[in-house]
Amino acid sequence: MHSSCAAALLAPWARLAGAALAAGQGVSSGAASAAASGSQTPAPGTAGGEIVLGTSAAFTGPSRGLGNELYRGAMAYFREVNESGGINGRRITLKLYDDGYQPDPCVQNTLKLMLEDDVFLLFGYVGTPTVTRVLPMLKKFQEEQIYMFFPFTGAQPQREPPYGDFAFNLRASYRQETAGLVENFLATGRRRIAVFYQADAYGRSGWAGVRAALENHGETIAGEATYQRGSRFTGTMRAQVEILQRAAPDAVICVGAYAACAAFARDAIDLGLRVPIANLSFVGSENLVNLLSEGRDDPETYTQWLVNSQVVPSYEDESVPAVGEYRKLMARHNPEIPEEFLDDPYSPLPQSFVSLEGFVNAKLMCEIFRRFDGEPTRAGLEDAVFSIRDFDLGIGEQVSFGPDRRQGLQRVYYTVVEDGRFVPLTDWNALPA
Amino acid sequence: MKVHKLFQRMRFGIFALFGLIVLSTSLLCIRTVDTELSAEYAANSQSIAKTIADASVDILLNRNLATLQSLIDQFLEVQGIRYIYITDETGEFLAHTFVPGIPEAILESDPFQAEPVERSLPGMGDFLEVSSPILAGVAGTVHLGMDLDLVALKIQRAIGQQVYLISILLVVGILASIWLVNLVARPLAALLAYAVETARQPPEQRALVVANEKLLERDDEVGQLARLILYMSRTRPPSGPEALPDPGAARSAA
Repeated sequence: MHSSCAAALLAPWARLAGAALAAGQGVSSGAASAAASGSQTPAPGTAGGEIVLGTSAAFTGPSRGLGNELYRGAMAYFREVNESGGINGRRITLKLYDDGYQPDPCVQNTLKLMLEDDVFLLFGYVGTPTVTRVLPMLKKFQEEQIYMFFPFTGAQPQREPPYGDFAFNLRASYRQETAGLVENFLATGRRRIAVFYQADAYGRSGWAGVRAALENHGETIAGEATYQRGSRFTGTMRAQVEILQRAAPDAVICVGAYAACAAFARDAIDLGLRVPIANLSFVGSENLVNLLSEGRDDPETYTQWLVNSQVVPSYEDESVPAVGEYRKLMARHNPEIPEEFLDDPYSPLPQSFVSLEGFVNAKLMCEIFRRFDGEPTRAGLEDAVFSIRDFDLGIGEQVSFGPDRRQGLQRVYYTVVEDGRFVPLTDWNALPA
Repeated sequence: MKVHKLFQRMRFGIFALFGLIVLSTSLLCIRTVDTELSAEYAANSQSIAKTIADASVDILLNRNLATLQSLIDQFLEVQGIRYIYITDETGEFLAHTFVPGIPEAILESDPFQAEPVERSLPGMGDFLEVSSPILAGVAGTVHLGMDLDLVALKIQRAIGQQVYLISILLVVGILASIWLVNLVARPLAALLAYAVETARQPPEQRALVVANEKLLERDDEVGQLARLILYMSRTRPPSGPEALPDPGAARSAA
């Protein structure tokens, strides 16, 4: 009993050592993988009629809405697939860990997922500061061919060398989102653009996007202010607002999470900084609006200034096939928050941009699993992904992947708040001045 | 009484000597710890700045500012480091750790400053800022702020611990000296009492004074003196110095 336990515990390490040895002897990882499959050993994370995906995300803390909603959206689709018999008879299961949107726990969780839980791949990670710290681990264990799929971040590190080869992205990048916002603001004569951003890799990624987009038009960032990751809505952002007020901006682009961005929007309007306040898709739009509207008779006081970029279409638009499917499956399965994360209470949203993104992530993930000829293997993952060409996810944009194309979607959507809901922004000139 | 006075002087001398040792050791310790720790913190900061500068080259050339930010965020966890910022070759701020914004004093400073400089930032504290060029300065400069208040606190704590130890040694030393002095003073006082008691008696009755047995049994100068007094009390007073007894003979007589 003990020896079998010890063997089970040591197995991942032994496998890593074997892979390293194979690499040292000049044996390609493909050959090593073939040898492994020749011995009829199932690929990691695929034993017992399952495909186990590993997730580390913010399920608790001020950004828990992001991890929980992304998970719920993905689970709505995975449950439907599982109830329909799985993929080639295999059920999709998720091994979850909470990192609270903090890099160090995320790194620890990832080590557990790779070395102890032996998951097939990493899926549905949340956040730039977390993902950025995990990427070097994927490179370190590259012989293991553990890929990260569809992280909930639009940052560049997992899209570019030296780590771009270890991740596959579905959503558009922050660079694309910020470029779109900047160009639309500039087109409507708002040339002085300031940035309010999270003091970490995520914030810097968005800041760099704004800076690059402005540079293309011969402009520079008019002013900038930062906040500490993990800031809550109950905190104050007055110091940040005062810094930006001195820059007299025509618009502010926020690169943050919903609690801090809502606090900033509240304090900005209260202090008289009444300019469009744009947020990126990561913000968690519905939670942002909920915080700004809760308990107010005049919720539009704050929300009328919001312009949010999105990387999926509106979940209200049922003319989009995937949205109809999403709404139907969310209503049918209504995935609950995992019990282990209920210590930090969270009220799930019926629909949201974040859960819709989780849903399309899961949908594409399943499609990739269907592309395997026979048993799924890590070695075969890249080929399965690259076989996705002009694939219709049902959101009005074809998805393609290839060795030089590791991001599936390119489109950015812009929304404003009307009657407490996000609707497409059709006229940038109609934004309040 | 005279014995007490004698030892009071000795005690005072011991206290003064110990006090001098403690004072001089403490002053030396404060100076050494302050100088050494300050230099060590400054050297560590310089090393960290250089490490960041060396690690930043590829990241900067790839214009990967998110990774650059992630890199400096990790170094911010090092104790004493309160801020880090990186400027490019034109002096533009590429990444920094300031919240809620870059302080005016830093915005107005020379981004190519190579020598360590002390800064006082309103609302943040006092800092020693060290810099390290990236790719010999053609790719930018790393600037790192060491919290002087925190360093001072660390130094004070280190000094405090040393002075605390020295003070304990002082107290232990004084208590030990008191105990040792008492060790000598007590038999001397008993000897004095015996001698006084013997002297008070008329010569023919001096031999009747009961000597302290423990005093007579002592194998030291006090015991020898006690036995000498006993011997002298039992013999007629000699008329010349040649009659003084041999101490060894006195002991065998006792």
